[in-house]
Amino acid sequence: MSNVPSDLRYTADHEWARLEDGKIRMGITDYAQDALGDVVFVQLPEPGTRIELGGTFSEVESTKSVSDIYAPVTGTIVGVNTELADSPQRLNEDPYGVGWICVIEPADGDAYDTLLDAEAYSKLISD
Amino acid sequence: MADLKRSPLDAAHRSLGAKIVPFGGWDMPLAYPAGTLAEHRACREGAVAFDVSHLGTVRVEGAEAFGALQRAFTNDLQKIGPGRTQYTHLLEPGDGSVLDDIIVWWVNDERFDVMPNASNTARVLEALGVGRDVTGERAVIAVQGPAARERLEAVSSAAAAVKRRDVATVEWNGAELTVAGTGYTGEDGVELAVPADVALDLWSALVAAGIEPAGLGARDTLRLEAGLPLHGHELGPGITPLQAGLGWVVSWSKGEFRGREALAEEKSAGLRRVLRGLTVEGRQPPREGYDVVMEDRTVGRVTSGNFSPVLGRGIALALVEPAVAVGDAVQIDVRGRRVDAAVVALPFIPKKGI
Repeated sequence: MSNVPSDLRYTADHEWARLEDGKIRMGITDYAQDALGDVVFVQLPEPGTRIELGGTFSEVESTKSVSDIYAPVTGTIVGVNTELADSPQRLNEDPYGVGWICVIEPADGDAYDTLLDAEAYSKLISD
Repeated sequence: MADLKRSPLDAAHRSLGAKIVPFGGWDMPLAYPAGTLAEHRACREGAVAFDVSHLGTVRVEGAEAFGALQRAFTNDLQKIGPGRTQYTHLLEPGDGSVLDDIIVWWVNDERFDVMPNASNTARVLEALGVGRDVTGERAVIAVQGPAARERLEAVSSAAAAVKRRDVATVEWNGAELTVAGTGYTGEDGVELAVPADVALDLWSALVAAGIEPAGLGARDTLRLEAGLPLHGHELGPGITPLQAGLGWVVSWSKGEFRGREALAEEKSAGLRRVLRGLTVEGRQPPREGYDVVMEDRTVGRVTSGNFSPVLGRGIALALVEPAVAVGDAVQIDVRGRRVDAAVVALPFIPKKGI
């Protein structure tokens, strides 16, 4: 069973989001990392990049496939986990912790509330 | 996907928690919970067991066997004899491209076991015109790695003693195993064909002896590092043994074989592309189908690529124009981004076996 922490929000594309002082920290879910297998490379976004809800802005590559990362909200990248450049396996080891990908300054302060809650995401991945 | 075949070891994979994927018409383990990278390292440093039951076995027996194989395949069976194995190709007569790459186990005077790739078994059988498909009667387990023989010793010392490229029958718990000193990882090891009804017992004994289960994901990254071709990628429709750099598999001195004429024409006309190894700067894995670019001109295409756990960077095999040589600087077009790469000699890692 995949771990779906109850205090986070989710997208249907298997990203998680956490609200921190009005900003959103995000990564990929435990379900996503398990489906991908061993992550060997993360194409990190540049700080300052504007991203649009649902648009791709990063890529995660495992030994078996490439997976796009989609913006959970519209906003600007204000922080990037540069540790992933040399240690992409952190996405597998701790997807909700040291495996975070970036921090987004959302354009709309209410955007976070429109994301899936843990219950809805759990239902999505069990269907 | 209702008619995927299942290996005799299917229950063992599921109870070990393997991720199962369709491959060549079979349900096979991609990786166990340890994951592809850990399984890869276990094979380079210790010993692993792969279920390769999806490989076909066509058994050819009797007086016509030798002649039928010798006329069909590119390599010369007179270079070996009973108790030896040989890597060989079966070609399309029309263009000399590789219909399948095969290991022949010349088990004894009476018996050849021809081992095609999973999905090519029927075509190989048809091309030979003799033999029978015995794939369903057995499982095949590849035990590979520097500690393979030492750990296999505890299960069967006779199997552990089968030398590189030899093949022998060995008794184990009342059953007859056929054991070959072959593999597909670049490491030492053996492959064991075991009757289906005792396959689970053998698998359990191997795992109990400290030989770690490894899936098709690791098998692919291992063979790639070793520079070994995979049918459907480096070999297949339109790709000849000469393009793949496997001219040594073709015996011009033995007389007629399927596809000889077409291949001889290619040889005299010159190759239009050749297989090369590429390493990229950084970890990003090049993928099949990416263009190889040199001085802003497309000079070829990646046939297989991944991350090399040993080198810690992306590596690829690519079919490129013959002028692209070892030492050249090229670029790989990664979904619109150009990544620098170098043309390197194969294999990517030092060779310990084939």
